[in-house]
Amino acid sequence: MLLFAVSFVSCKQDGEYHTITDKIEADQKPYHGDLSSEELLAGTELIQITEGEHTFLIPERKGQIKSYACIECHSKPLNEMKGANGQKAHWDLKINHAAIETMDCATCHNPDNMNNLKSLTGKDIDINLSYKLCAQCHSKQFEDWKGGAHGKKVAGWAPPRASMTCVNCHNPHNPGFETRWPAQFNTQKVEERKDGLGH
Amino acid sequence: MSNRKKWFSLDLGPHNKKKSSGNCGCSNPQGSCDSGPEKEELNAEEFYEAAINASIGDERRKDGFDQVFDVQMDRRDAFKKLTASLLIGAGAISSCTSVIQDPDSKEKAQIDWEEQFKGNYKLMTDEEKKQTVDRLMRSYELRTGKNISMSSKNAEEDVLFGYAFNISKCQGYMDCVSACVEENNQDRKSQMQYIRIHEMKDGKGFNFNEADDNYYHEVPAEGHFYMGTQCFHCDNPPCVDVCPVQATWKEEDGLVVIDYDWCVGCRYCMAACPYDGRRFNWSKPEVPENEINKNQHYLGNRMRKKGVMEKCTFCVQRSRKGKNPACVEACPTGARIFGNLLDPNSTIRWVLENKKVFRLKEDLGTEPKFWYFMD
Ligand code: SF4
Ligand code: SF4
Repeated sequence: MLLFAVSFVSCKQDGEYHTITDKIEADQKPYHGDLSSEELLAGTELIQITEGEHTFLIPERKGQIKSYACIECHSKPLNEMKGANGQKAHWDLKINHAAIETMDCATCHNPDNMNNLKSLTGKDIDINLSYKLCAQCHSKQFEDWKGGAHGKKVAGWAPPRASMTCVNCHNPHNPGFETRWPAQFNTQKVEERKDGLGH
Repeated sequence: MSNRKKWFSLDLGPHNKKKSSGNCGCSNPQGSCDSGPEKEELNAEEFYEAAINASIGDERRKDGFDQVFDVQMDRRDAFKKLTASLLIGAGAISSCTSVIQDPDSKEKAQIDWEEQFKGNYKLMTDEEKKQTVDRLMRSYELRTGKNISMSSKNAEEDVLFGYAFNISKCQGYMDCVSACVEENNQDRKSQMQYIRIHEMKDGKGFNFNEADDNYYHEVPAEGHFYMGTQCFHCDNPPCVDVCPVQATWKEEDGLVVIDYDWCVGCRYCMAACPYDGRRFNWSKPEVPENEINKNQHYLGNRMRKKGVMEKCTFCVQRSRKGKNPACVEACPTGARIFGNLLDPNSTIRWVLENKKVFRLKEDLGTEPKFWYFMD
C-alpha cells in the first residue's frame, strides 16, 4: 500500500509532471488572458459561423469579389446571354477541379440565380458560406477544418479564433497546389558538406 | 530588491568630477588644463589592474575551467579594451589634456560598462529587464543613429506554447525557412537556418540519414514527402541541463530560450540536443542594415554576436504578442499549427486530441512540444 502511494506521488514532484500531457491536463483552462488577436484582425471583415460544436470567424467573401453582385451583369438567364452580341466575361476561367463527369459550372452555380451558389440538391448557398459547398464532397477536410487541423488562421494564435475559409487558399476553379521551386537554397551548406564539416 | 542590481554601475557623475576638480578644475568640457595630474591618482595601467581585480579578481586565479576555456584571458582582454574606451569616453584619464568629454561617447561607455557586467537575464527583476532592453536600444541608437524596438515581455500566465506539423500537407516550398531567416535576423553570411525541411522518399519511413534537407528542384518531387524540424521546445530539455552557466532555460510559457550575453559558447547544449535544434555563430553574424527586423525581443531575434548559441524561439517577439510564429504565417499549405496547449478550446488542442499525433524520439523522455500528424 505504502509502495503504491510512493510510486504514485513520484509522478509529480514540485509541480513537475511526468509527461507534458499530464501537465496540460492538470493546468488547462480556457484562455481569457491579456493576449488577443482582435487588434491583428481589425482590418479584416469577418463573419461568425457555427458548425457543430465549433464557433469561429471566417473572412467575409462578397466584398472581396470584384464583380459582385453577379446579377449586375447576369440580368437574364445564361442561355439568353450567350451568342455573338454578348460581352465576354470570365474568359480566363479554366476549370481544373474533378472530372467533367463529376462537375461542371452548374454543379456549383445556378444559372438562374447567379448571386448565390447552389448545393447538389439545388438549394441556395450564400457566397459568404462557400465552405458549405466544398464540404459536400470534401467531408474529411471539412472535419479537420472545423477543428483547426486543416487550413490557416487569419492572424494570431490568441482568441478569438479566425480561420481562413477554403477559397482563401484554394482557387475553387483550380484548387490544387502547383509544383514550384523552393524559396531557399543553401549554398553554404553545400560547401560545408563538400568539406565534410556538416553532419 | 531594487538596491540589489544584477549589474554594476560605474559612477561617472559627481563622484568623478570631485576627484578631477581637485587638481585642475576642468569645468570647461572641451577645455585643456595645464596643471599636471595629481601624483596620488592612479595612472591608466594601475587603474586597469585595480579595476580588473575588483571585478574579475576570482577569475584571475587559474583553475581547471579557464585552462580549458581560456576565460581569464578573454575576459581580461575584453575588459581592458572596454576600460580603455570607458576612460576615453568618461574623461577619467588623469591628464585633462587627453579628455574627450563628448556626452555620447560617455553614455556609450557607460552602457558598455553596464552591459559587460550585467547579470543573467533569467535572474533579473522585471525592472532590471526593462532597463536592460532600454540600454540595448539606446546603445543601438548611439551606434547606428537608428532606432529598434526591443521587448522584455515575460511569459503570459495560463499559456503554454505548442506546435503541430502536418506531414501530409507540407509541399517542401521552404517559405517558412525564408520567413524565419528574415524574422529572426539570422546570419546571412553563413546562411544560418533554424528550420530544416527534410525531403524523404515514400516507403522509406522517417529516415533522416537518407533524407535531403538541401534540395533544389521543383517541389513536391514525385515519390517524396516533406518533414520540417526545428527546436521542439522540449518540456524536459536536455540542452538546458548541460549548460554550465545556465545561459539557456525554459520559460513559464514553455519556450526554451538563450541569454546570448550569458552564453560562453561551449556548445554543450548543441551536443545534448537530440534533434539538431541549435545553431552556433562560428563567425560574426551579418545582416544588411536594411534587412534587419527591428521588432525585437531580448530572448529572441535581437542581434547576436560571434561565439554564441541561438535557435528557434517560436518567435518569442511575436508569440508573446498573440501572433503566430513567422513560419506558421508564411506556410501557404497550412501544414503548421501553433497555439496554447493549456486552452482546451485552442486548435492545437483539437489536433492533439483528434489526429494521430507523434513526436520524434519519444522514448528519450525529452517531451518535445512539437507534434507531427497526417491528414
Ligand atoms: S529540441 Fe533540442 S534545443 Fe530544442 S529544447 Fe529540445 S533539446 Fe533543447
Ligand atoms: S553554448 Fe551557451 S547556451 Fe549552450 S551550453 Fe554552452 S554556454 Fe550554455
